[in-house]
Amino acid sequence: MTPEFALQYLINALSLGSLYALMALGMAIVFGVLRLVNLAYGELIMVAGYTLFVLNDSPLPWLILAAGAVAMAMVASVLTERIAFRPVRVNSLNAMLITSFAVSTLLQNAALLLVSPRTRAVNVPGVLSQNLDVGGFNVSMANVLTIIVSLGLLFGLNLLLRRTTLGIALRAAADDFPMTRMLGVRADRVIATAFAISGVLAGVVGLFWVARIGSVIPTIGAGPLLIALIATVIGGMSGLSGAIVGGYLLGALTVGMQLLLPQGLLDYRDAFTFAIVILVLLVRPQGLIAGRSAARVG
Amino acid sequence: MGLRALDNVSLELAQGEILGLIGPNGSGKTTLINVISGLLAPTAGRARVDGTVVTGKPAHVSARAGIARTFQSVRLFKALTARENVEVAALAAGVRRVEAKRRADELLGEFGLARWHNVLAGALPYGLERSLEMARAIATGATFLLLDEPAAGLDESEGDALLALLAGIPATRGCGILVIDHDMRLIMRLCRRLHVLAHGQTISEGTADEVRRDPRVIEAYLGSAGAAA
Amino acid sequence: MGSLLTGVAILIRGHRQLLILIVPIAIFAVVTQLVGGTLLGRIAIAFFINLMVVLSLQIFTGNSGLLSFAHVGFMGIGAYVSAVLTMTPEAKAFAIPDLYPALVPVTLPFIPAVLIGGLVAAVVAAVVTFPIMRLREAASVISTFALLVIIQVILAHWHELTNGPRSLFGLQPYTDLPTAALWGVIFIVVAWVFRHSSIGLRLRASQDSEPAALTIGVNVVRLRWIAFIVSAFIAGFAGGLWAHFVTTFSPRAFYLIETFVAVTMLIVGGPRTVSGAVIGTVIVTAAFQGLRTIENQINLERLLPFQVVGVTEILLAVVLIVVLTVRPGGLIEEREIFSGPGGPLGPDADSAAKAPP
Repeated sequence: MTPEFALQYLINALSLGSLYALMALGMAIVFGVLRLVNLAYGELIMVAGYTLFVLNDSPLPWLILAAGAVAMAMVASVLTERIAFRPVRVNSLNAMLITSFAVSTLLQNAALLLVSPRTRAVNVPGVLSQNLDVGGFNVSMANVLTIIVSLGLLFGLNLLLRRTTLGIALRAAADDFPMTRMLGVRADRVIATAFAISGVLAGVVGLFWVARIGSVIPTIGAGPLLIALIATVIGGMSGLSGAIVGGYLLGALTVGMQLLLPQGLLDYRDAFTFAIVILVLLVRPQGLIAGRSAARVG
Repeated sequence: MGLRALDNVSLELAQGEILGLIGPNGSGKTTLINVISGLLAPTAGRARVDGTVVTGKPAHVSARAGIARTFQSVRLFKALTARENVEVAALAAGVRRVEAKRRADELLGEFGLARWHNVLAGALPYGLERSLEMARAIATGATFLLLDEPAAGLDESEGDALLALLAGIPATRGCGILVIDHDMRLIMRLCRRLHVLAHGQTISEGTADEVRRDPRVIEAYLGSAGAAA
Repeated sequence: MGSLLTGVAILIRGHRQLLILIVPIAIFAVVTQLVGGTLLGRIAIAFFINLMVVLSLQIFTGNSGLLSFAHVGFMGIGAYVSAVLTMTPEAKAFAIPDLYPALVPVTLPFIPAVLIGGLVAAVVAAVVTFPIMRLREAASVISTFALLVIIQVILAHWHELTNGPRSLFGLQPYTDLPTAALWGVIFIVVAWVFRHSSIGLRLRASQDSEPAALTIGVNVVRLRWIAFIVSAFIAGFAGGLWAHFVTTFSPRAFYLIETFVAVTMLIVGGPRTVSGAVIGTVIVTAAFQGLRTIENQINLERLLPFQVVGVTEILLAVVLIVVLTVRPGGLIEEREIFSGPGGPLGPDADSAAKAPP
């Protein structure tokens, strides 16, 4: 393996891993407080994508459009919580899960109705398609930016979760929600915050995801949803650091399989990764990384 | 790592006797029952029924070996009728359908639930829930019953009625019963032999009188701010 | 034969509600067959096939309490297996050019092929689902979801059996209304018998409290597995009938949208009861077809300046969320339809109020 090849592999893996980590984190933060596997999570990414599409012809600088797209994803996330999840929260886990399935279908078909079932091109700033020269090696700018922004976001989120009262409540909730509630933390606020953060993460993921593809379709969220699912399972579905590690692990694994598997088997890549998911759930339901104790029966 | 909820506890229960298991809150009583009934796997140690080991196996194995239990927070099959709750226990023990229904009706009668047979368990009055749970446990044909605070939440007359029923079970059904309760009055009336746990360890064992005079028991209870009077 | 008749007689005596459920549906099928046009006939066939899928889901989810997203995948298995078995060698040469040579000359009659499709689905379910039956909550749901994705990926890439992601075409339209209706009714009876059987009762107990079920000796994992196998068979069977109804399909037909529709039907009606599954399918099919017709009409006559797509799904999603909010157990919750009030008997029926613990 040449050094250039190795560096490219590393950057690819890191960039994809960063994106996957953000996806997983957005999923895990909601799972932490509600035990909800939010199947509508991918549609938040779609919302960000379509916001960019709608603003395609806007004269504003791209960064402002991007901020608008992230804001829309956040608003969508908080609204779905308020309108759909909160009313069924008391009923059962299954009810919430099916609700998220319904929300996913609803948002997808809304995009179908309001925009188009067909692929729509989205303007991507030129800088993302440039290459960067690092000590003689050619590296894609999009990958480098993905890594930098993701790390910045993870760092910022870490500060938020560690330094602010709401952040601490959120981390505590992800660890043991019933306990946190007993300590007097207001559930509604914590949950709403979790959905807001989840929406922001989905929005940022949406930016990079759309930039990678260059277009948006109603089903654009399906891929990221599956990735987030896999990464959170690998990470252990409890606690937030697990999700991040799971994301990076999956990124490395994906790039590695691309590199090593012959095309014939590559077609079945998703089948393999999901088989691994089932295996992890069976053998180490607490994830490959973190541990968690059992609940009391009595 | 972790806390030792139970450490080196050993007890024996014979058919036909009622053994009281007491101890302050958090002393490991419920954990012990969870281990014996197979819901928790112990890190070390075993529970045996007539020499057959039942611990460390799937939970339903304990039941098949003849151990049945009730729960401190009653756990009924809420969407099944009272009769189905009992019937299903007999079915799970391998009894045929017709016989299971017959056994269910007989037990419902015995526990004063006959006219509730077609009511969903989730809609039963609270006082009857514990009776139904007990009828369900007996319907498995168990040789050993583990009862976790059978009188909790019952008023005095309900408690007394239950007590009378319980006291008769070893004689009529030949079972051995292990009872956990905070109500010392109930325990003293029901059990000849007691087993006392504190901090997951056995601190005393013997007849009611022996245990009552044991200084370690007095200390354990007073030390934990007297959970039982 | 005599004992079978006695069995049926006992079943009918103890389960009058089953007849109340079946008779209107049978009448609907007969009337549609006699006087309905082609369109209504096709809607009726689609209804009965949907009904089978929903019943299969009810057998697993309704009794065990575990959601499954995988069932439509098993429907796909049944569809492809039966298709490969009924098609003529000539049709296969066109539609599945890469088909294994050994399978090319095989041509079976319709119903045996569909039965084999169901059996293959059941065998696959038996082999892969046993370990995941001990999972709970999120882990359980994700694993069935993963199973759906895996089946989808395999169907879309196994060129030697499915023609890959492209459409499979050239099937004979064997599925007519009498066939669909007959099997629909049969599976209603199967789901009913299963629910009231010893296995069904024990599973429903485990749904209410798994620890309690374990401690009375219910082997919860094994019974869930059995329920899954039975339900995968029905889903596979339904897939076979569906394949020979639409005659052209691709792997995408067995993915998220279809799963969503089936889950909606089950949840709206009430997953715990067979009547719920039936009534949910009736309501959602009627709503779906009605909305689709309106949608198509609007598009056909250009009533609006743009094409209307997805409104049906949007409204279904809204209905689903509303049902989950106001009536989370579905329309027919715990007791089968027309089961009677189920109150206590005797004189002081009303005096025993539920006291707080």
